[in-house]
Amino acid sequence: MKKFVALLLAAIMLLSMTSVFADEKTTLTMWCIATESDANRPAYEKAIAEFEAAHPDIEIKWEAFENQSYKTKIKSAMSDPDSLPDIFFTWAGAFLGDFADMGTAYCLDEAYKPFADQLPEVMLQNASYGGKHYGVPLTMNIVTLFANMDLLAKAGWDHVPQTYEDLTACCDALVAAGITPFGCAGKETWCVTEYLEPIIEKTIGYEALNDVFAGKATWNNEGIATAVATFQEMINKGYFDPNGMALGNDEVKANFIAGKYAFYQNGSWNCGEVNDAEGNFQVALFPVMNAEKATYGQVIGGPSDTLAVSSHSKNVELAAQAAFELGRGICHYGYLAGSGLPAWTPDYDTSAVKALVSDVAKIVAESEGMVLFGDTAMSADPANTYLDYVSQVYGCAIDGAGFIEGLAGDLQ
Amino acid sequence: MKRTIGYKLSIFAFLLPALILFIGVLIAPIIMSAYYSFFNWKVGYPLTDFIGVKNYVELFTSKSIGFMKALGNSLLLALLSVFIQLPLALLLALKLGKKIPGERAFLSVYFMPVLISTVVIGQLWLKIYNPEYGLLNVALRSLGLESWTRIWLGTKETALGACFVPILWQYVGYHMLLMYAGVKGVPPELNEAAMLDGCTESQVNRYIIIPYIKPILRVSVIFAVTGSLKSFDLIYVLTNGGPFHATEVPSTLMISMLFLRNRYGMGSTIAVMLIILCFAFALLISLAFKEEK
Repeated sequence: MKKFVALLLAAIMLLSMTSVFADEKTTLTMWCIATESDANRPAYEKAIAEFEAAHPDIEIKWEAFENQSYKTKIKSAMSDPDSLPDIFFTWAGAFLGDFADMGTAYCLDEAYKPFADQLPEVMLQNASYGGKHYGVPLTMNIVTLFANMDLLAKAGWDHVPQTYEDLTACCDALVAAGITPFGCAGKETWCVTEYLEPIIEKTIGYEALNDVFAGKATWNNEGIATAVATFQEMINKGYFDPNGMALGNDEVKANFIAGKYAFYQNGSWNCGEVNDAEGNFQVALFPVMNAEKATYGQVIGGPSDTLAVSSHSKNVELAAQAAFELGRGICHYGYLAGSGLPAWTPDYDTSAVKALVSDVAKIVAESEGMVLFGDTAMSADPANTYLDYVSQVYGCAIDGAGFIEGLAGDLQ
Repeated sequence: MKRTIGYKLSIFAFLLPALILFIGVLIAPIIMSAYYSFFNWKVGYPLTDFIGVKNYVELFTSKSIGFMKALGNSLLLALLSVFIQLPLALLLALKLGKKIPGERAFLSVYFMPVLISTVVIGQLWLKIYNPEYGLLNVALRSLGLESWTRIWLGTKETALGACFVPILWQYVGYHMLLMYAGVKGVPPELNEAAMLDGCTESQVNRYIIIPYIKPILRVSVIFAVTGSLKSFDLIYVLTNGGPFHATEVPSTLMISMLFLRNRYGMGSTIAVMLIILCFAFALLISLAFKEEK
């Protein structure tokens, strides 16, 4: 009997060991910013589930962090590359550029080849350094002028103004009707750049602004000073909610959706949320300020949200392939949910895409030039100096001359 | 002799774990920070660009970093802590130490803000200061004082003061409790003898209790001043140093340099300056109290 029990136990142990080996999966770790409250969360969940279903031998162990704290976490991890996960979310431009420069981001040129027909190479431009690709773009976004058409109607307007003269006339009518034209979150300076950068672009043109952001041209440009003066004129005329200086973006967006402001200029990732809100909303671009240098179709934005692969990953090639597949899935579900435009060519039914997202997609398709967000285009130190100056512009603590001279002195 | 050596060795052995912990957690990071402060170091890059004291020179001379302004804000907070927060705490401690009815309840109420998380307090005061629905502006409007309403945290004229109010309020209870313990420790016969000699209550406070609790007052002043120099959490939640650096303090500046600008060398320089300033002030305050003694 004892022998039988011993044999049985040994058999059970052997069987359980076999099952352990059979279930052994390769685990890939991933960090991102798709927290529970993030608009992109469902897209990540669906893309990961889809990936794991297609690859039963691979498990994605992922963690999401709040945007600002993630910047701190990922930068701290730079000092100890072994602590980086296999795949990590990053912003393209200078942010990812630092990883590429340090050698902590893995070159994705080889892994890209099988996906080249689904992901146009131009979409990898912001994540390419020295002719090599280091990031998988997820979605692309542009700065969009959201308009509450019900409020515009109260001021006698049935369309979004397309010229600056019309915009000021519309804002004057709104102010006279007791409606605040714009809301802008002064507590988060990137929100101020969503207003200032399009005004600068529509004054000096996208090529000139690209050169300034890239450090190829000086900030000491009269056109930029004029753009700053225009922005401050709008503030001083009462076009902006004065309380905005103490508010964060979520509060300002909530105010806009609640019908407190007629316009809200921010990233197109808000399309889904605005589209689903009650009311009649339209999307447009900021009008042209100087027709000799800029056109209406010039936009601020581009593919910025990116997945990168750690060069210290133990399964680096597998992680690279997974990054592309996950990127494609996140893009797919994010586009359908309205949290961004597709960086990947859609090969699925897009009839369910939300109306505002389709409108922005049309704007992008017809765009005549694109400038990446300033704080993404510049590396950390100059980007924060730039944001400091932008914040002072919004508070009218410096004028156009102070802005261009200060930045020219501090950055170049 | 052998016994004495054995005795000393055992003392050393028992102290060793604490010593290792103290050196590893406190002393070593300070030394490392001081070392990094001599480099122009971006995290992730090799630590090769030795620049001597250039970070220190830049810290005190650069207008764009604004360290002097941040330090000025901290020193102003320290001044307000010593001359507003501590007297208020002392007043409460003296009153509560006189066995007034509901003494325990008052103690709990005044100490409660210390127990609440600073982030929660920050969110609470954010709501109070909200320019639209905030308690402060709503109260002013309902009192017919519309012209007194402000964007408290959004304008540089009011933001600093608006940040200081909750900081001072939160820690009144902490200092009050320290002083209350001191007041309760005064031998009752001293008070009784003074009363028999015809002293008024304020004379008892002035000539008996306050001199008696001077060591506690010294500790409170050191905590208030060094706490002000290190202040970070409430300011970070309320304004994050804005608007236009109006509420910047050395700690918020350090976080900005380390994690937003990637300037680990400069961030370490600010950390070293903070340590030096805290030690210097603690020493000065101790000396000031010693002289009076």
